[in-house]
Amino acid sequence: MPKIRKTKKKAPEGWELIEPTLEELEQKMREAETEPHEGKRKVEALWPIFKIHHQKSRYIFDLFYRRKAISRELYDYCLNENIADKNLIAKWKKQGYENLCCLRCIQTRDTNFGTTCICRVPKGKLEEGRIVECIHCGCRGCSG
Amino acid sequence: MATSKGTNNYNRQQWESAEFPIVCQTCLGDNPYIRMTKEKYGKECKICLRPFTVFRWCPGAKMRFKKTEICQTCSHLKNVCQTCLLDLEYGLPIQIRDMALKIKDDIPRSDVNKEYYIQNMVSDLRKTLIEVFCKYFCISKGEDSDLLMKLARTTPYYKRNRPHICSFWVKGKCRRGEECPYRHEKPTDPDDPLSDQNIKDRYYGVNDPVAAKLMKRASAMPKLEPPEDKSITTLYIGNVPAFITDDDLRDHFYQYGEIRSIACIPRQQCAFVEFIKRADAEVAADKTFNTLILGGRRLNIKWGHTQGRQSISTPPTTLSAPPIPPGFSAPGRMEEKVTSLGLGEAEELESQFCA
Repeated sequence: MPKIRKTKKKAPEGWELIEPTLEELEQKMREAETEPHEGKRKVEALWPIFKIHHQKSRYIFDLFYRRKAISRELYDYCLNENIADKNLIAKWKKQGYENLCCLRCIQTRDTNFGTTCICRVPKGKLEEGRIVECIHCGCRGCSG
Repeated sequence: MATSKGTNNYNRQQWESAEFPIVCQTCLGDNPYIRMTKEKYGKECKICLRPFTVFRWCPGAKMRFKKTEICQTCSHLKNVCQTCLLDLEYGLPIQIRDMALKIKDDIPRSDVNKEYYIQNMVSDLRKTLIEVFCKYFCISKGEDSDLLMKLARTTPYYKRNRPHICSFWVKGKCRRGEECPYRHEKPTDPDDPLSDQNIKDRYYGVNDPVAAKLMKRASAMPKLEPPEDKSITTLYIGNVPAFITDDDLRDHFYQYGEIRSIACIPRQQCAFVEFIKRADAEVAADKTFNTLILGGRRLNIKWGHTQGRQSISTPPTTLSAPPIPPGFSAPGRMEEKVTSLGLGEAEELESQFCA
């Protein structure tokens, strides 16, 4: 069934061009939500959700800011309908956070010692060739 | 309602709260910069089952996070680290330390008895701490701590802080691969007696396989047997640094008994100490064998052979003393012979001993 609209307004022009991709991403998200948890760690079951959420927001962000392929109106429409996460995009506009994986990883209140997640450490600073998968979103390093 | 943490303290086990953990050096790890979290009443003490303040930290790169397992009261009662339950001074299991220091501890093990005992200890904490101090510190400065010092490690053993074995990898099913923080190594042999250890047994000093292993090692350590010939009262001392003199040796050995004579041969880095009484010599041998360190070197104590310094245990080539001229049965009796034979002979002998 078609996605629930938040406002009564019709979609602005250009919507038909982006709709198929968005529909595909929605479908992926639904699949991720209904996947069984067998064989996965407790935290690992949530990683696909965060990944797809990032992908959706990334798509809209790229279309507007990088490729400039959609109008401001359409972009605002997507943000209002919560197709893309406006808080996450707000971070992407900041220097150093362009590839931020999710908002949980920069939340210092979530950690024991008031630091950010390990995935925020640049690979250069992380010695010993260590592979990390952060527990929040499974990210392998989103800075640098 | 009487459901908050503080209510009904009368005759109940007090929950424990602490400001700083009691932890040994190895458990803390090699990094001097540690971040530690403190959680009030985070877990139950593994021994007395009271909630206590749990401290948790990372003892170094690639180590598992360690946390305090027993409460401070239980660790005070036995003078052990809160995490590894090894003695704070020697790093040895409780069973070995109590055996060597001959400490008899009667902490009850069964439920109500144990609670009652701990409750009493907690209620008068100052008195408890004084008792503990007297038990472990005043005693262990005595002689029996020699065995413990020999058994104790000299450097910290960080292998204890390694992560546990990845049980998924053992089954071949570890999906984490490189990123897995657990060890991908062969697990220890399940037949090995060291693999089933129990925290309660280790704490009460009963049935501890590590202690058993150490005891076997202790009994296998070289021992110095007194010789059968009861008239030998001479100790051979090897590895004597060049600057050690007769007087230094005398200063040390006079505590065991009256010394008949001391002769040292700096060239050969050895010395001979002869006692008047055989019993004194045996005591001296016991106390100094493998323990006496003078001038920075551990002295190698052995029994001398026969009366007089004729043959010695180690290479005798350059050191064979001249055969004792007839009429001399023991160097100790030199004094009376001196008067009868004149000083010349005595001086000659003297010079040969202390060249």
